[in-house]
Amino acid sequence: MTQASLFRQITDFANRANPYPLYAELRKTPVLHEEEDGPYVISSYWDIEALLHDPRISSDAANLAAAGTDALAQAEETGGLPPSFIRLDPPEHDRLRRIANQGFGPPHRPRRIENMRGELGPIVNGLFDGLADKRQFDLVDEFAYPFPVTVICRLLGVPRDDEPKFRAWVDPLVASLDPDTRENPDADFVKAAQEARMQLGMYLAGLVEERAKEPREDLLSDLVNSEGPDGSMTMMEVLSTAVLLLIAGHETTVNLITNGMLTLLRHPEVLERLRGDPGLSVRIVEELLRYEPPVQIVPQRTCIADIEVRGVTIPKGARIWLMLAAGNRDPERFTDPERFDPDRGDIQHLGFGSGIHSCFGAPLARLETQIALSELARRLENPRLVEDPPPYRPNAVLRGPRHLEIAFDGLR
Amino acid sequence: MRLVVDLNKCQGYAQCAFLAPDVFAMHGEESLVYNPHAPEEQRERLARAVAACPVQAITADGLDGTGEQGTGSAQEAHDAR
Ligand code: HEM
Repeated sequence: MTQASLFRQITDFANRANPYPLYAELRKTPVLHEEEDGPYVISSYWDIEALLHDPRISSDAANLAAAGTDALAQAEETGGLPPSFIRLDPPEHDRLRRIANQGFGPPHRPRRIENMRGELGPIVNGLFDGLADKRQFDLVDEFAYPFPVTVICRLLGVPRDDEPKFRAWVDPLVASLDPDTRENPDADFVKAAQEARMQLGMYLAGLVEERAKEPREDLLSDLVNSEGPDGSMTMMEVLSTAVLLLIAGHETTVNLITNGMLTLLRHPEVLERLRGDPGLSVRIVEELLRYEPPVQIVPQRTCIADIEVRGVTIPKGARIWLMLAAGNRDPERFTDPERFDPDRGDIQHLGFGSGIHSCFGAPLARLETQIALSELARRLENPRLVEDPPPYRPNAVLRGPRHLEIAFDGLR
Repeated sequence: MRLVVDLNKCQGYAQCAFLAPDVFAMHGEESLVYNPHAPEEQRERLARAVAACPVQAITADGLDGTGEQGTGSAQEAHDAR
C-alpha cells in the first residue's frame, strides 16, 4: 500500500483542522504533479505571486472545461447563467469588473463602503442582544454568519428576510466549489448545483427588474442602470455578477471572523491587547489573512501555453492549483512564518489573491472583520473555547469551522 | 501627518481610496492622487489604508505602532481598472 498522494491528503477531510504540516511538506516540491490528470500544485510564495500576474494562466471557465478533467466545469458551461467575472479573462473580466466597481468604490462611489461603517455597529449590537442571557454560544451560527449576510444583503438591496430561501440555493453552489466534489460529482449533484444557480438567478431577476424601473440606493440598482465608456451589463451579466457578489459576500467573511476568534482564543495575550486597543484589529486582520486565510487555494486556473516553473514544464491545457495558504507560510518569504504575530511589519499576504482577480470585496471584508473582532474582544467577558479543534466544514478551498462553541461569563 | 506613496510600487488596487477617501482618491480608473499632509483627524483612517495596501506603497510619519515600518498601501487600483 502506498501512502495517499499529498494532493489527496490535502483534500482529505481528516486533515482539515490543521493542513499546515501538509503545506510545509508540499513546499519541498514547489511544483507538484502526482496524478496524470491531476493539477500542478504550486506552493511557494514567489511562484504563486508570479503566476497570479501571468497572462498565460487563465481563469476562463471554458478553458477549464476544455481541459476535460473537471466534470463540473463542463456541466457549468452548458447550463443557465453565463460565467461571472471571477471565471473570465480579459477583456470581458475587466469590462464587467469595472462596471461592477462603479457601484462599489472609487472613483465613482468612493464612500459607499466607508459610509457603511455607521450601519455595522448597530447590526453587531443586535447580535450581542441575542446573547444577553446565555453563557455559551456558537460563534458561527449566532454571529459570524448572520453578520456578513446582513451586510451584503443591505449593500446589494436583497431583503434580509429572504435569507432562508436563498441559503437553500447558496449551499449547493458553495459545495460545488469543493475539489473533492468536483473530481467525482454524481449526476444528481451536478443537476442540483446547476438548478440552484438558476433558481438564485431567477430570484435575483425579480429584484433587478424592480430596480430597473425604480432605482434605489443599492448596488443592484447601480448594476442594472450602469452606463459609461464600458457600456452597460446585459440582464444575464447583471444576474451572474449579483450571484457572485452574494455568494462571495457570504461564504468567506464568516470564515475570517471565525478563524480570527479561534486564533485569538489560542493567543489570549493578543486578545487582551485588542480589548484595550480596538485599533490593533487592523493589523490582526492582515496577519489573519496570512496565517489562517479563508480562501486556502485558488483551484480553477488553466495554462493556455506551455509554461516553465522552477525547471518544470507545465503543458498547455493543464490545470493549476495555487496554494495561497502554503505561500503565506513560506519561509523564503516570511520570517518565522508559523507564528501568529500581528506586529510583523512585513505582511504582503496572498489572502485576497493578487493581480487582476484580487478580491473585489476586500475593503468590505476588512471593515466587517475589524469591527467583529474588536467588538467580540470588548463585549465578551472571559471567553473560552469549548472544543479545540472545532468541527470543520468539508470544503478544502473555503476552509473554516462549521461551529465554534464559546463559553463566557457575561456581556460587558 | 506627512505621508508619501511610492508610485513606482503602487499598482492602483485603490484600497486606500476606499479606506481613507479624504486623503486618497482615484483620478479616473487607475491613477492615484493623495494629500501628502493629511490632517490629524485622519490618523485612524490613514492607519487602515497603510495596513491594507497590498504592495505596501504608503509610508506615513507618526502613526503609532505602524509608524516605524510605515508601510501600507495604495493598493487595489486594479479594482478600478
Ligand atoms: C475575508 C473575506 C474574503 C476573502 C478571504 C476573499 C478572498 C478572495 C480571493 C482569494 C479572491 C481571488 C480569487 C481568484 O484569484 O480567482 C477573491 C476574489 C473575489 N472576491 Fe473576495 N474574499 C473575501 C470577501 C469578499 C467579499 C465580502 C466580496 C463581495 C462583496 C468578495 C468578492 C469577490 C469577487 C467579486 C472576486 C472576483 C474578483 C475578480 O475575479 O476580479 N470577496 N476573493
